[in-house]
Amino acid sequence: MKKNILILTLILFTGFISEAQVKKGDVLIKNGTVLTITKGTLANTDVLIKDGKISRIGKNLKAPNGVQEIDATGKFIMPGIIDAHSHIALSSVNEGTSQVTAEVNMGDVIDPFDVSIYRALAGGVTSTHALHGSANVIGGESETLKLRYGTSNPEELKFEDAPRTIKFALGENPTRGGRSRGIQPSSRMGVEAMLRNSFNDAISYRNTWNAYKADKNPRKVAPEYDLRMETLVDILDGKVLVHCHSYRADEIYMLLKVFKDFGIKKLTFQHANEAYKVASELAEFGASASVFADWWAYKLEVYWSTAYNATILTRNGVLTSINSDSGELIRHLFHEAAKTQKYGDLSDDEALSLITLNPAKQLGIDNRVGSIEVGKDADIAIFEGHPLSVYAIPVMTFVDGVKYFDRANDVADQRIYVNPEEAVENITIFNRLDEDRCMEEGVVSFEALFSNKK
Amino acid sequence: MKLLLTKTIRAVFLMLLTVSTVSLNAQSDPTGESAVTRTFAITNATVIQAPGKELKGATVVIKNGLIQAVGTNVTVPTDAQVIDGKDMFVYAGFIDGLANTGAKRPENAPRPNDLFSPDPPNDYAGITPEHSLLDQLDVASNTIASMRKEGFAISHSVPFGRMLPGSGSIILLGDKKHADELVLSKDVSMFTQFAGAPGAYPGNVLGIMAKWRNLYRNAENNKQHYDSYAQNPSGIERPERDRVTEAFFPVVSKQRPVMFDVAGVLEVQRAMRLQKDLGFKLMVGNVKQAWDLGQMFKDNGTSVFLSLDLPDAPKEAKGKDLDEMTEETKRLEARKVDFYKKYVGQAASLATSGVKFGFSSLDVTSTKVKANLLTMIENGLSESDALAALTTNAAGLLGIDKITGTVEAGKIANIMVSNAPYFTKDSQIKFMFVDGDKYDFEIKEKSAAGNGNRAGAAAGNDPIVGTWSYNFETPNGASTGKMTFAKDGGTYTGKMTNNDGAPDANLQEVTFANGTLSFIFMIDAGGQSVELIVSGTVTGKQYDAEVTVSAFNFSTPMSATKDDGQ
Repeated sequence: MKKNILILTLILFTGFISEAQVKKGDVLIKNGTVLTITKGTLANTDVLIKDGKISRIGKNLKAPNGVQEIDATGKFIMPGIIDAHSHIALSSVNEGTSQVTAEVNMGDVIDPFDVSIYRALAGGVTSTHALHGSANVIGGESETLKLRYGTSNPEELKFEDAPRTIKFALGENPTRGGRSRGIQPSSRMGVEAMLRNSFNDAISYRNTWNAYKADKNPRKVAPEYDLRMETLVDILDGKVLVHCHSYRADEIYMLLKVFKDFGIKKLTFQHANEAYKVASELAEFGASASVFADWWAYKLEVYWSTAYNATILTRNGVLTSINSDSGELIRHLFHEAAKTQKYGDLSDDEALSLITLNPAKQLGIDNRVGSIEVGKDADIAIFEGHPLSVYAIPVMTFVDGVKYFDRANDVADQRIYVNPEEAVENITIFNRLDEDRCMEEGVVSFEALFSNKK
Repeated sequence: MKLLLTKTIRAVFLMLLTVSTVSLNAQSDPTGESAVTRTFAITNATVIQAPGKELKGATVVIKNGLIQAVGTNVTVPTDAQVIDGKDMFVYAGFIDGLANTGAKRPENAPRPNDLFSPDPPNDYAGITPEHSLLDQLDVASNTIASMRKEGFAISHSVPFGRMLPGSGSIILLGDKKHADELVLSKDVSMFTQFAGAPGAYPGNVLGIMAKWRNLYRNAENNKQHYDSYAQNPSGIERPERDRVTEAFFPVVSKQRPVMFDVAGVLEVQRAMRLQKDLGFKLMVGNVKQAWDLGQMFKDNGTSVFLSLDLPDAPKEAKGKDLDEMTEETKRLEARKVDFYKKYVGQAASLATSGVKFGFSSLDVTSTKVKANLLTMIENGLSESDALAALTTNAAGLLGIDKITGTVEAGKIANIMVSNAPYFTKDSQIKFMFVDGDKYDFEIKEKSAAGNGNRAGAAAGNDPIVGTWSYNFETPNGASTGKMTFAKDGGTYTGKMTNNDGAPDANLQEVTFANGTLSFIFMIDAGGQSVELIVSGTVTGKQYDAEVTVSAFNFSTPMSATKDDGQ
């Protein structure tokens, strides 16, 4: 019966592009060291994957007929790495012309051709949180992706049924954007005012629509529809998880107060370099943090930082992850996680959780990914050497049991679409533009930044 | 579509009235330019009535702007101008599914002094769906004649602009005095594109997608409000007039399709995502990368107009260049060739998957249309599918198949006559009939240069290499000077000097094949670099070409003669 319903559902959905049918794999990974994250480390253990899900974990498992076996003797099997802050696989990052753009949606601008996706897979990453940039106080809704590289259909990259998330930003970035255009906000105070005004507008919008819906008059006239307000109302109603770009402790604390006032609970601070100063306040609120391992001093507000940030937060009971925000760092997030062992002495499971289970929780997808457990999606990375060792080398990466990266079969030219008119030139492995797309299109011009004529 | 059809029929009826008035006036036409008769008979011709439906030795009678009769046993009316169609091939005039043909690009809306970038005025934001092609339609636009010269009789033309430039209309590519005479069917589509406002909202595809949803959802609500107010205004607050939302009403009620200019595979899918969210009727045009989308088009019932523009074929490395290539470079070059094949094969692959598509000339230089069609045919598109895309399919997708698209009695007299089967290299268009009016074209003698490539192989005997004196009209008067071509290996290079003392220009992408010489050069226009595309025919020492400035939608003829003693 269940199967029939499934088939029926499939039939109903054929013809709609967003219900793209993604590939699911079957495979038996033999005799590896399984880093489950939630259930300890299992030596000489097999993982059986059926139809894209982890179906059995144990010793001496037999591969069902026709199912491929992979010998992982001497290798480490870990859950696919999840990057809670990324701008790869996007055609646009900021709608920087306005400082509140809750209505825009990164799901509209997925770029499945971005080679950075393959590079991330080659670093054991299976999911990214494709965020709007930080040019706006309230940016757009973000999209959680599975890195199913090789398709021309953007819908196939979407993490099915992942909760909605949205990007907020505090501090220098939105105020730079505001000042360069001569619009609010031009100070941190302006940022807070904008947030409070936006939520107050949303409350009054919700009241207007509730009154309309309750009106029994058959000839009632609908109030103005506003997609921006619709999204803000959904945030107030707890339907959208907020991920907020932030650095300084004072502004982090400011947002906690704003959210308390408006009763919004689901909050993750992104970057949060000074979160260690308000760790207990974050824990009390129930907010989480997604931080860099040791990246700072690239602008004034990011000077007061420490490599112990992740550890301090973890020890204070704040759910913490480590992210890349970069097409380069994303290739070695396992190194970034390992730094917390040098700076803070986190255990292996704690360190690995920073790039697996914890970001999964922050994105609301921990029921599907983030650990190796029966029933979870087979998003898995295989490493030669322990992933927290400096000698670690990712060798294979699976999403839904389908192998998307295999170091032994690593074709040099990974472009999906090729421009036949483009001259063949020397290849740049590292594209600096990938490094920080946070403010792309967000600021008008360098000169305008320093102009007083606004 | 029913409304569209009714509108079309009404338009045709009006056209007929207009036409008879013109004929009456013609008798006292002091200019002597009016046609002596509007009755024509093309006799003894091969008539391709529709794709795959061919009559040999047939006669086509045209009268009062309509095809009166087609067949092998047709009486020629006494007042007809008879055209001997021996060795001639008669086709339905082509239909362009998406173009700016006939439209004059308006000045960009000036940046307001007090621009508030999150909420700019609609005209600056590019949100002007209430505009119509008719506001920009210019009978003097040379794009009408250039497209007609390539066999097109009808164009679904859209206005210039940004996100929502306005509605498209179906126009006849005739030579008329007044813009209204060109209009076959008014405001048949709402045109839109992913073109953001400069430094204001919506600035890019993110904002445009959101703005689209917002405008549409509001229009749905507003339409209900307008409708109930129209039904009975008592006790309902008066709806505020809003021309943008009103322009959406026919789209919301699915009477008017939305035409999206979406070249790339991702843009096409973004348009389809919007359609899925909102439910309007979707047409996609200027499509260049749809080889992976055949099934999706079929499942969604999307109307598709493929771009007539094609990428240049990757140059094959030879001799020293080839020897110096690394294995990796060879592989990368091979992938370029693979993808070139996908671009030139997209029409064939969609035809194979059963998608009925038309074509769009939006991004193509008119003189390249036929060569590109032949390239598509070389890469798997059948001639009958190509013809269907240019005629019957386009007419069907635009809802005008009852009145045009085939050479059948009762249809509008839109006819193309060529001196050989059209889809052959050497065919040339001899006559065009648009709405029953005849246009003659000079058949160029098959030039010795027709075998350009082979002739060029013999050094010193190249038809191009040498110095040419050129002449072309610019908005600032005639421009004259010398062009010098040289050949290095298999590649032409060229330089252009100007008698006015303007800086020399290097000619880029010089190609000469099948008697057609094309090249590109850049000029400096007030600090902005502008690309000019030149393409035309070499006949002995004479070069007749067209210079196109795509950035300004401007084209002008150029002629050159090869200097003696070379």
